[in-house]
Order: sequence, then C-alpha cells, then structure tokens
Amino acid sequence: MTRLARALGPVPWLLPAVALIGLVVLWPVVVLFKTSFQNISPDGFVNGWAGLGNFRALFAEPALLSVVLRTVVWVVVVVAITMVLGLMLAQLFNVEFPGRKAARWALIAPWAASVMMTSLIFRWALDYTSGPINILLKDLGIVHSLGTNQTDWLGRPVAAFIWMMGVAVLVSLPFTIYALLAGLQTIPADLYEAARVDGADSWRMYRSITLPLLRPAFTVALLINVINIFNSFPIIWEMTRGQPGSSTSTTTTFMFQLKQAFIGESASMSVLNFAMVIVIVLVFLKVTRWKEQVN
Amino acid sequence: MKRTLIGATAIVAVGTMALSGCGGSSSTSSGKSGGTTTLKLVAADYGTGPANTSSKYWASVADAFHKANPTITVNVQVVTWANFDTTVQTMVQNKQYPDITEGDYFSNYAQQGLLYPASKVLSNPGNLLPAFKAQGSYKGVQYGMPFTTSSRTLFYNKKLFKKAGIMSAPKTWADIQTDASKIKALGDTGFGLPLGSEEGQAEALLWMLGNGGGYQNSSGKYTINSPQNIQTFQFLKKLVAAGDTEPNPANKMRTDQWQQFAQGKVGMINGSPALVPIIESAKVLKDSDWTSVPIAGKNGPLTKTLGVSDNVAAFKTDGTKAAAIKKFLDFTYQDTYQLKFDKEYDLLPATTSAAKALASDPIFGPFLTALPHSIQYPSDTAWAQVKTNIQQNIGTAVTGDPKTVLDSIQAKASAN
Repeated sequence: MTRLARALGPVPWLLPAVALIGLVVLWPVVVLFKTSFQNISPDGFVNGWAGLGNFRALFAEPALLSVVLRTVVWVVVVVAITMVLGLMLAQLFNVEFPGRKAARWALIAPWAASVMMTSLIFRWALDYTSGPINILLKDLGIVHSLGTNQTDWLGRPVAAFIWMMGVAVLVSLPFTIYALLAGLQTIPADLYEAARVDGADSWRMYRSITLPLLRPAFTVALLINVINIFNSFPIIWEMTRGQPGSSTSTTTTFMFQLKQAFIGESASMSVLNFAMVIVIVLVFLKVTRWKEQVN
Repeated sequence: MKRTLIGATAIVAVGTMALSGCGGSSSTSSGKSGGTTTLKLVAADYGTGPANTSSKYWASVADAFHKANPTITVNVQVVTWANFDTTVQTMVQNKQYPDITEGDYFSNYAQQGLLYPASKVLSNPGNLLPAFKAQGSYKGVQYGMPFTTSSRTLFYNKKLFKKAGIMSAPKTWADIQTDASKIKALGDTGFGLPLGSEEGQAEALLWMLGNGGGYQNSSGKYTINSPQNIQTFQFLKKLVAAGDTEPNPANKMRTDQWQQFAQGKVGMINGSPALVPIIESAKVLKDSDWTSVPIAGKNGPLTKTLGVSDNVAAFKTDGTKAAAIKKFLDFTYQDTYQLKFDKEYDLLPATTSAAKALASDPIFGPFLTALPHSIQYPSDTAWAQVKTNIQQNIGTAVTGDPKTVLDSIQAKASAN
C-alpha cells in the first residue's frame, strides 16, 4: 500500500505537464488524422467519412509533385545559405570592436519584427510600378523602366521564389548568429593560445578548434532552422499567396491554399507534412548522433 | 489591428445605442407582460472607415424601426468584410444563431434547414429583383434575399484614349487588342486583367460570356472546359503575351488594378460601381476623363453582364420570431432605405421599385439597365469549392496551356 502510494507520489506533480502535452500536442494530432479521413463542407459541416478519398484527391493534384520538390529546394537552399552566412557573421560579432554591443543589439531587430511585417514590407518594396527597390534599381540603370515584366519580380514564379528565399535567409540569420555566437563564447581562449604556440595559422585553428567545438551549437541551430523554414508560412503567403496557381507554394502554403475549400484534403496534406517533419527529424538525429552531442 | 479596433468601437457604439433604445421601450411595454422581442442582426461593413461604417446605417434603420414598433428591438452587430464569413460560420457552428444576416449568403445553411424561406419573412418577395432569385434558392425555394447588388461594365480612360488617337469605345475583342496595344505604346497598361485569387472568378467569367461560354450550361452542369472557354483563354493568352495587359496577370489582385486605373495608368478595365469611389478618392481622373460602357465581347458588346448580390438570410433559431423578422425586413426593404444604402456605398438596389427610382441617375443608370438581364454565378452547393479552385488556378490558363488548366478545374468541379 505504502509502496503503491510512493510509486504514485510523483503523479500529481507530473499531471499538469502531461495534461498540457496531451491537450496541446497530442490531441490536435489526433483531430488532424481524424479530419483527413472525413468529408467536410467548406463551412465546416461534417458530412460523414471519406475513407481514403482525401488522400486520393491530394495525390491527384497536378501541382503536388512540384510543390514537394520546391519545398526541398526551399529548405536546403535557405538553410544552407543561412548557416554559412551565420558562421561568418557570428565570427565577426565575436571579435572585439568598438560599438560591438550596439551592433549585437541591432541584430535583434529583424528577429523581433514579425515575419509577416517583414514580408509585407518586401512585397511593397518590390511593387512593379512604384516599389522603392525597383526605383533604386532603375536609378542604378539595372532595370530599364517601371511597370514592366522586368520589375514585376513577384509576378514571375522563379524570380519571386528567389526573392522569398532571400527574405527567409534574412529573418533566420539573427537567431542563427546568436546560437553560434553563444557556442563560440564557450570555447576557452587558452586552446587558441596553445595552438598559436604550436605555430598554427588562423585557418588551421578555425578548422581544428573552432568548428569541432562549435558542433553542438551548430547542430541545434541547424535543426531548428530546418524545422522553421520547412514550416515557414507568412513569407510566401504575404508575398505571392503561392500564386500563380501553386507555382510559388511550398507544402505548408499549399496546405493552406487547399484549406480554403477542401478541408479534408488539406488535412491529408497536413498529415503528409507531419510525416515529413518526423522523417526529417529522425534522419537528422541519426546523422548527427544527437545523443552524444547533447550529453 | 487598427481596423479591428475601429470595428470593436463601432460594435460597442451600436451596442450602447441599441441598449439605450431598449431602455426607453421597456418602460412603455412593461404593461403588456413579456411582449417584447429582440432581434439579432449581423451585417457586413461596407464602409472604408469610421466615417461611413455600416453600423451608422443600420443604427438609423433600427432606431426608426423601433420607434414605429416599440415592442421589437433590433441589436445590430457590424462585422468587417474580411471577418464576416468566419463570424457567421462560428455562430452557426456554435449554434448561437443570429436572427438576420446581411452579407455573403451560404446555400449550405438552407440545405441544413436553418433558414426561413423568403415568403415567410417578407410580405412582397416578388419585389426582389427576379434576376437574383435563383442564386438565393435551394430546391426551388428562395431563402437568400438580395439586399444590395452590383453589375459589371467596362471602364475606360478617355484621356488615354484621346492621347492614343482612339476615337470610339471598344466593342469587340479585336477593338480591345488594337486599343490596348496603342495605349501600351504610350507606356501605360492597355488592359487591366486581375486574374489573381481575389476576384479571378469574376474576371474569367466576364471574358467567357463574351464568347458565349460560362461556368455552367443551361441545365446546371459545369462546362468550364467548353471549346468556347478554351478559345477565350487562348485569346487572353495572346493578349498577355503581346504585353497588352499589366505584366503577369496570373497573380494580380483586383484592388491593386482598380487603384492603378484610378491613378490613370490603365486604359481599360472591367469594373463595378465600387470602382467609382476609388476613382473619386484618388483625385487623378476628373469625371470627364473616364466612362463606363457594356463589356466588350468577341463580336460585340455583351447584352448580359455579371450581376452580383449580397443577401439577407433569416435564421429560424427557436422558430418564434418569424413575425417580428417579417416586420423588420418589410421596414428595411422600403425604397428609402434601399436608396440610402446604395447612395452611401455606390451600390445598386435589389428591389424592382427602388431600381425604378434610380433608373434616371447618370452614373448608375447604365448599371441598372444591365441588372435585370444579368448573369449570376452558379448557385449549387458545389460552387463554394469550385470558386476557390478557379480563384487559385485560373491565372495559370494565360501562362500555361489553357486547355490543360480548364480541364483540371472542370475535373475537380464535376467530381462533386
């Protein structure tokens, strides 16, 4: 009896956390899966079960394959550029220079601004008739006249996608730099001193001391960026709505495009997204030997 | 954020007004025990700011009505257009039904048996413009009652036309092609073609009608990939490729293109009366600088244009308020209030008698003559999904292969 009571002792303390995870994480997943098998009218009336109908409709979408491939490009390119630039800038911010404190504070600004706001500003700045970026490009002689196909960056799918990747890099950089900067500061200075005594040049020190010791911080930043960029919604939605058609959509915005009228099908897209995130994370953990890193 | 705040204050303001009105009446009606009825009206906001918010209009109607009928109080809730659909949907999903809505109308609610038929809550439903009857009907019974309407015409910039040396209004697609290329030569946009997700379904239909096409045939079957429609988009694709429209119309929004027209940078554009206040507030074009004519078709101007209505729907709730709703709707549908609303927002009336009263108006006359013959969007329950799919994808019909795009939209429409 007392043994049982002792075993159950921690339960009341764990309960709130368990309930929270259950309600906020697990329950929505259950509802998501349920919805993906239901037939739902555009204004939310449930008209019975759909079996695999939603999934069949999803896989019959002509745009699906290109959307998935575009998502891969989106994640790989944005995360790669962010990490490389982040490494360089973190190094810079780690060096003593006058006004470093102010510069570090300024770095927070694009992070603190809502991503939606940043995206809206870019959409406005790229307006094909009167956007300031286009006016600047015209003054520099890079574009010939306003209001043309050339200045309509967001109207051409490829150009629009490149601009959006740029915005995604911009908003991901601050977090990445801070994560890497924190990592850099944990590296003891005497390691560098010892290396210098042994006659290593700075590139050698960077490769043999900085990079290996930065690995935990780098891994965390990489994983969080992959998940963030994969799920990124506001940039694409505010700048192009994924249009024309779905030719600038990733799986996340495509899910929302479907949601406007095909709720069940949209839920099955979410299930697919969910599966992809799980796979990415598992592969990632395996490849980076996460456990050893964290311990 | 600011908008929500204004909306919220408006709601509070109306609420207070309604409350004070209620306080006055309860003293008089207290003799008759429990004889008062309260109606909850949810209406969309057509205003552009606090100065002309629709809550002012509805408060004046509700006050006047309450004076005439002290036993009935109308509580008004005005919701911004962007939130209207979700607000009503949430109320319905939570079973907190409003008594009356004015704005978008959902045939699904009639399908679910939630609504009163028009004949039960309006003394003279025959006065509603017959052109909009089918759109509000489910299985032959009218539930959605048009409250305000608009129709589409072709606007053109007379100043640009003169500069380009064009003498007459465009009547055919060939006219549009030549006129647009002349205006393009001036460095402006020839034809504003918003095929993006905001209103792509309207723009596409206006062009389909010009070639004898449309979304459905006379028996209500979807015919989106009909040969006429494919031909229409082949023409549009040519127009776009020649640079006679704004660049990349596939994702351009209507609001932006209307603004461009109001700035005097677009030669021709399909518009509705709602474009008039935009032109006026931009203060670039004088009244004599633009005009509107019937929409150009392949071989001549359209005799039937697209007409759109916003509707009133009456919910059954507990089934006891039909008489009170009827009194209120009869009061609201008087010509005075119809015209007051349309004057305020540059829209068109929805009743035959009010339309007659406005027929001689110089700006609205042309729209009104087109109205009784207007074509409506499909009214079946599948339309909500078909519409979204068109808004999403119709633009790609001028960048990719028109037939493939229309085929895939048709496939999804007929799968329902």
